[in-house]
Amino acid sequence: MRQFVKHNGLGLFFGAIFLASLVGQALVGHADFNHIQAQHHDDPISLGRYVFSSDFGVDVMENWQSEYLQFTLYILMTVWLLQQGSPESKELGKEGLESDKEQKVGEHAGAKSPAWARARGWRQTLYSNSLLVVMTAIWLASWVASSITGRVAYNADQFDHQQAAVTWAQYVATSDFWNRTLQNWQSEFLAVGSMAVLAIYLRQRGSPESKPVGAPHSATGIES
Amino acid sequence: MRLAALLVVVAAATAGCGQSDDRAAVRMTTERFITAHAADRGETACAALTQDTRAELEKQESSACAEAVGSVELEGGAITRVEVAMTNAKVDLASGESVFLSEQAAGWRIAAVGCRPQGDPRAEPFDCELEA
Repeated sequence: MRQFVKHNGLGLFFGAIFLASLVGQALVGHADFNHIQAQHHDDPISLGRYVFSSDFGVDVMENWQSEYLQFTLYILMTVWLLQQGSPESKELGKEGLESDKEQKVGEHAGAKSPAWARARGWRQTLYSNSLLVVMTAIWLASWVASSITGRVAYNADQFDHQQAAVTWAQYVATSDFWNRTLQNWQSEFLAVGSMAVLAIYLRQRGSPESKPVGAPHSATGIES
Repeated sequence: MRLAALLVVVAAATAGCGQSDDRAAVRMTTERFITAHAADRGETACAALTQDTRAELEKQESSACAEAVGSVELEGGAITRVEVAMTNAKVDLASGESVFLSEQAAGWRIAAVGCRPQGDPRAEPFDCELEA
């Protein structure tokens, strides 16, 4: 058990703080929702009702979609784009999909390689892009989910102000939808871009996201 | 991929969570008000209004809600559409009027009646005969 925790600490730690944060968001989101209800002279709703409401749903989904977009783009762009001196980048001159030998696929697969890495045709192609495919699917799904829940929350506000509802197609053209979307995108792009550049000059001893402390600033694609 | 499909299904289910029960309750409150208003049963009509809407009517007419509610000019008509969004709802009537409701601890109550669009209905508030 202790060894399992030690060998899976990264996944377990982030899984735990994700759940703790989600519970915290539900609690404070519920309090905030009822605060607004009181401002409108409306009655409070229960926590159970709130966590299954579109108000909570859109607040969760709008953040998920931007996180998955960030990593989807990072996975895709780091295939082709380089950043001199950054440990987040491949070595200069290595841009692109690389050779079968470098990627250990087909006849270059080892004894412990995944079966679909050794396979030919569509299975190898699919497995070679499986991380990007799944991350893209989760991004698009959470973005669609944010538009579905966002529309309901938007329409509740419309009715509260004696205005007509919007359809889904009308909602995805509103400033509300794009404000929710872009305010999340810009922060993700800033964070990931600044990490790639700051890691040229700054170090974190022991972290695989950093170059070794003594590595030169010009060294590209070297991680601890 | 299953997670992706699950997200969309959960969002759609959440968006429609409890909607059929709410629709029925919204329809019932609206019908009760329209019927009571047409039959001059002021107490019953007032019971379907939110407290704020009742208070606004009493302030406007300087009389008790049950006496004042008959003076609200409504065309009424059959319900043609019910839309529910979380704790708010809109009901359209055959006359072209709309009714707006909000969910209170005691159930769905009418916040505004006799409402007609003025300009773009999605951008400008409806003009209502009675609202809080």
